[in-house]
Amino acid sequence: MLSVDGLTVRADAVELVREVSFDIAPGERVGLIGESGSGKSLTALSLMGLLPEGVRASGTARLGGRDLVGVPEGRIKDLRGREVSMVFQEPMTALNPLMRVGAQVAEVMTLHGRPRAEARTRAVELLDRVRLPRPAQLARSYPHQLSGGQRQRVMLAIALANEPGLLICDEPTTALDVTVQKQMLELIAEVAPALLFITHDLAVVASVCERVLVMYGGRVVESGPIREVFTRPRHRYTEGLLAASKLTPRGTRLPTIKGSVPAAGRFPEGCVFSNRCPHATQRCETEPELTGEGHAHACWHPAD
Amino acid sequence: MRGRVNAGLIAGAVLVGIVVLAALVSFVWTPHDPTLVDAANKLREPGGGYLLGADKFGRDTFSQLMVGARTTLYVGIVAVGIAALIGTPLGMIAGMTPRGWLSELIMRVNDLVFAFPALLLAVMLGAVYGAGTLTAMIAIGVATVPAFARVARAATMQVMVTDYILAARAAGRRRAAIAVRHVLPNIGSMLIVQASVSFAIAILAEAALSFLGFGTRPPIPSWGRMLQESQELLFSTPRLALWPGLAIALAVLGFNLLGDGLRDYLDPKLRRIRAER
Amino acid sequence: MILYLLKRLAVLLASTAVAGVAVFAFMALLPGDPAEIALGVNATPDAVAALRERFGTDRPPPAQFADWFGGLLHGDFGTSYVTSSPIGPQIGDRLGVTAVLVLGGMVIALLIAVPAGTFAAVHHRNPLGVAISAASQVGIAIPAFLAGILLVFVFAVKAQALPSGGYVPIAEDPQAWLLGLLLPWLSLGLVQGAVLTRYVRSAVLDVMREDYLRTARAKGRGRMGALWRHGLRNASIPVVTVLGLQLATLLIGAVVVERVFVIPGLGDLLLNGVAGRDLLLVQGVVMVLVVAVLLINFVVDVTYAVLDPRLR
Repeated sequence: MLSVDGLTVRADAVELVREVSFDIAPGERVGLIGESGSGKSLTALSLMGLLPEGVRASGTARLGGRDLVGVPEGRIKDLRGREVSMVFQEPMTALNPLMRVGAQVAEVMTLHGRPRAEARTRAVELLDRVRLPRPAQLARSYPHQLSGGQRQRVMLAIALANEPGLLICDEPTTALDVTVQKQMLELIAEVAPALLFITHDLAVVASVCERVLVMYGGRVVESGPIREVFTRPRHRYTEGLLAASKLTPRGTRLPTIKGSVPAAGRFPEGCVFSNRCPHATQRCETEPELTGEGHAHACWHPAD
Repeated sequence: MRGRVNAGLIAGAVLVGIVVLAALVSFVWTPHDPTLVDAANKLREPGGGYLLGADKFGRDTFSQLMVGARTTLYVGIVAVGIAALIGTPLGMIAGMTPRGWLSELIMRVNDLVFAFPALLLAVMLGAVYGAGTLTAMIAIGVATVPAFARVARAATMQVMVTDYILAARAAGRRRAAIAVRHVLPNIGSMLIVQASVSFAIAILAEAALSFLGFGTRPPIPSWGRMLQESQELLFSTPRLALWPGLAIALAVLGFNLLGDGLRDYLDPKLRRIRAER
Repeated sequence: MILYLLKRLAVLLASTAVAGVAVFAFMALLPGDPAEIALGVNATPDAVAALRERFGTDRPPPAQFADWFGGLLHGDFGTSYVTSSPIGPQIGDRLGVTAVLVLGGMVIALLIAVPAGTFAAVHHRNPLGVAISAASQVGIAIPAFLAGILLVFVFAVKAQALPSGGYVPIAEDPQAWLLGLLLPWLSLGLVQGAVLTRYVRSAVLDVMREDYLRTARAKGRGRMGALWRHGLRNASIPVVTVLGLQLATLLIGAVVVERVFVIPGLGDLLLNGVAGRDLLLVQGVVMVLVVAVLLINFVVDVTYAVLDPRLR
């Protein structure tokens, strides 16, 4: 389905994402986890051809035999919204405030060649499918009349409209109320074809995805099935991340990763985590490869 | 956080500096008496002590420009002063109590005054009291009040929701104290930017008024009137229109660049509030 | 929507009334009695009293105001104390000339500003985009009457292609009418176009950073397609505000430009009125200009409601 190989993203001389490779099989739900600045959003945006001005991607990414990276805008825009769709973090600003919701859903279909009348009818069906109440009426309202959760559902309806092969979600529930988050996650898990789900929230990944990629400093440092990575982390960063997220008994100190995430371009040579890693040695000055079948890690001193 | 000193800021400061310098020097020295009518030098070509030539009355253009800079700055300072002194407190009151009746009244009156542009006010004042520098300054100043009030209001509303104001209010400080101690210093940079932009507009308005004969009266030199006097000679001596025109344009450009540059320099986050033109 | 419009309409009517009081009160401050001025120093007290009665200036100010303002409501601006001719028809004639001048200037300004501002925003990193910004900054610094003088110098003095001034009614000679208005239109339009370009640029730049433009691209639109379909209407909201202010500025700019090009519009009438101490005429013209500005504000508010569903 999706096959990413050696994806690198640069802004001028600064490498923001380095040599990221992964595959997503049809119907598979993969999580991409990392702190802000880890390069997870840029990875997703480069698959959409939506990188900000001045930021460039190299390497290959193929979706069902079609190239996504290094393709001129004129060609990749035909794939966006049809073969691969994306739901963004901030639902409050993602919809055009001056356009009716139904028209915004229908637009993604007419853009890819569906007749106008048909798109209108199907827009209402889609709003129903993302479990919005009274979809026909809702299609006629404007974004400001909807709550954040409702708007995110509309975004999901837009993303699903042309039945894409891959859905990318970038922190889709972060901006929502906690009570709405769960319903939204269930809905995404239910309707998504193949899914690339980006988040910093470990619990969310665990509830939605089957496999996870852990990113730090623009690289994938560990990848594997959720259950294995979360119960037996190998990379010391993943280990720290999990330890910091565990509920600790009253009175014990919450373990944290020392230091803070360096600014882009300021990560150490070799292993990007070496300056914060309690296990770092001289060996970590050379870059570790991501190794291992199924459950892979890029660490010279992995946890057992 | 301060922004960077940008090219616009420097260019603006240089242009404004030239105008100010010309005005200051004109108090102690000008090449010739700018008001001296001298038939011998009528429409004298540039050169020989007359750097830019002389007009139809034989008055030295360069000297007139220098003293004209004085008139321009004088009108600008008084007009912007009036606008700032009236507009800022009104805008702050409206911004500190955005839902009160007083705020509503202030903004309504503000909108109404806005319907009276400087030129109309000046013409009305001129019709009643006779036109002159004073009526022009007052008219331009009053017409600029709404711009100041709006910007002061917008900036105050932004400042009022910050933590330190909330803390001061929670501590039970009086409104007047908060206004003077906390709000004013924090909207100051925005007001300086507005002053610079308003100054540019005041120069334009003064030039237009003098051009129409509602501004500074002869014989005191003013750039706008120099333009008006030059118009009939446009066919024979276009340079008479060139110099005052250039002076007006460069002075306005200078204050506009200075305003924009200061906004970027003083407080990048205030860029969301635009100075009113 | 209806409620919003009614509110705006109420504001318009109230502002007009208050503006009327302000203009009247202001002009009532004028020292001197119109009747005495009209008859000269040698007039007998009886004659002055008779004329006062005819002018209506013997009555208390509130009654005079009621008369004047009541007249305005059905287009009666009173009769000039100086020329003894009715003011309304004069204003009517001149208003048409000024309106044509202002609207033509606005059209030119828009024709310049929308493409130039959008281009400068889309190419804000390119030298050409930066050059447009810089040019607009310079354009702002040139007052309309100076632009007029420059245009006269280039097109009338040097090229001798267009008249340097004067006005021919369209009914008399449409071609001469058009040629005569070209330079005045350009004087107003070039300068306002420069001002507007900056606002269009910053509005489009703001919109380009909006999330919904990224959404539009994620749907499969290109950069320009997304901007065209989703950006421009959003960008037009702040631009409409400025456009309203600009129209008011243009109206006043027209007063000066009429002087430059000797065009018999409202500005010319106003300045002649002041020169001839024709109080009632000045009062009438000022009132018309102020109401025009208020009306423009009203139209801007209505346009908002049409453009922006959040206001409805």
